[in-house]
Amino acid sequence: MSQETLSSPILTRSSPPKKKASLFAGDVRLGWLLVTPALLVVVGMVGYPFVEAIRISFTDRMVGRGPGRWVGLANYEYILGWPDFTNMVIRTVLITIAAVLLKTLVGLILAAALNQDFRGRNVLRGIFMLPWILPTYIIVLVWRWIFDGQTGLLNQILVSWGVLSENYPFLAQRGSAVVLLIFVMVWKGYPFYALTFLAGMQTISAELYDAAKVDGAGRIGRFRYITLPGLRQVMGVVILLSTIWTMNSLEIPMLLTGGGPSNATEVFPLLTYHLAMQNFRLGEGAALPIMMLPIIALLVLTVAGYMDKEATE
Amino acid sequence: MTSIFDRIPDSIFRLCSFLVIVILFTMILFPLYFMVTTSFKFEGEIYSELTWIPREPTLSNFRDVIVNFRIPLYLRNTLIVALSTTAIVVVISVLAAYALTRLRFPGRAVMARGVLFVYLIPGSLMLIPMYLIIVKLGLKDTFPGLIIANMSFSVPFCTWLMIGYMRSISSEIEEASLIDGCTRIQSLWHIVIPLSIPAIVTASIFIFNNVWNEFIFALVIAQDDNRRMISVGLSNFYRSDFYMVGPMMAGSLIAMTPVVILYILAQRYVVSGLSAGAVKG
Repeated sequence: MSQETLSSPILTRSSPPKKKASLFAGDVRLGWLLVTPALLVVVGMVGYPFVEAIRISFTDRMVGRGPGRWVGLANYEYILGWPDFTNMVIRTVLITIAAVLLKTLVGLILAAALNQDFRGRNVLRGIFMLPWILPTYIIVLVWRWIFDGQTGLLNQILVSWGVLSENYPFLAQRGSAVVLLIFVMVWKGYPFYALTFLAGMQTISAELYDAAKVDGAGRIGRFRYITLPGLRQVMGVVILLSTIWTMNSLEIPMLLTGGGPSNATEVFPLLTYHLAMQNFRLGEGAALPIMMLPIIALLVLTVAGYMDKEATE
Repeated sequence: MTSIFDRIPDSIFRLCSFLVIVILFTMILFPLYFMVTTSFKFEGEIYSELTWIPREPTLSNFRDVIVNFRIPLYLRNTLIVALSTTAIVVVISVLAAYALTRLRFPGRAVMARGVLFVYLIPGSLMLIPMYLIIVKLGLKDTFPGLIIANMSFSVPFCTWLMIGYMRSISSEIEEASLIDGCTRIQSLWHIVIPLSIPAIVTASIFIFNNVWNEFIFALVIAQDDNRRMISVGLSNFYRSDFYMVGPMMAGSLIAMTPVVILYILAQRYVVSGLSAGAVKG
């Protein structure tokens, strides 16, 4: 596209008669041209499938069986009438809350511990990032082997130390399976918290701490009245973002426990997968995420507000 | 505001934080250490007893995954998809981000905000819709299908990252070049892109890593063994009835090597991506 076509007389006339304004004359056409590929991806590969999924949630479509018939709200009624549905929602919410709280707590403790001068701090920080950069599926597969009831490493260690007299099926017991699912989520997630909190702590000026010391503030006081307020913005974004990802985490429960034993770790994203890809009931598989949409939308809108404000500031 | 904590001398306090670091550090290295050592152990040793160091170190697990399993094929597939996705997404996103930050046209503010929303939509919400579209397009079990699925979350992310970065570049140099007679495209190519290299590198690393590590969409879209991605190939060591710990650990070690090398080479870029919330975890 040449300069001439970009600054066509019609466009320049409508813009204010400043010299600078003529520079932006061709912006409208070029702008849309440059945005089009991204727009196509978003509309075609996110927007359209999403609308299509809403439509399919009103049909009895199954994998490989044609388009299916319109069944109205039958899929929604089926899921709501399912005895374990309430349990599944409560389970998802509780596991998410527990994982996010623990990640925040451990992340905060690690950040505070790392926020001191000592040799090798940067190397240490690099190693603490490993859980965050390594593929989730590898981490989960390794932990699953460690917790395995037959030949798992943890059993080998505990038996050889005499803590256990015989192997314990950690992932096949309801209580321990839930605890270990949360454990793996926390192990994978807290380093990211710690490193962003640490980055936030390093932007807090040392003078504030000195002034507080002069005023007689103790360790708890300084943490409570300087560190935490200084971290508020960072913590808000990290916790909200991570709540979204944790709640929707499919990989960790799928590979660690597969939802078992007897549905103890069957959280919402995993159930979606089971309905659609194992029972081949696409209508139901499409309906479930739509039922969870209010919670997810609330979280997304809140965090988008936070991040948008931060980006434009 | 003083409390019992203030009566603890500084030295004890430092010792405590040192202990915290040591404990967490051990927890981080524990599974990784055993992943590495187990990959060099013989089958018998893995199942029979606990050994901290392989009794007779062997490369048989590595030979096994390379010769008897199709790990090299899966790695090749993953590399093709990851590189193609990264290249396409970076081009699309840089153009869009440039338009959304520099060009003046109606609708750009709405679109810039929309990018963030789309980026935040969780994958579990999109899994079934995406699967249906890929099937409809006849792209199941194909590289384009995998690339398109990965693009759908990489484009919003990369565009959002580039928007944030390009906003921080002063527009004065560019406006001067426009007054000197540069076209927008020329100034994008000669001024804005060179200045955005750090952000482009950061975004490329994250996109490549995300595709390389992606599991769920790979599982659903590429079910055919010839198009299988490494994440699905490795998890199959477990999904089958009897599982092979040695080859799985060896395969994992191979699969994570590119990610770790990339991370070591580009650590400062990765750290800068942290603040962009470039994470799902």
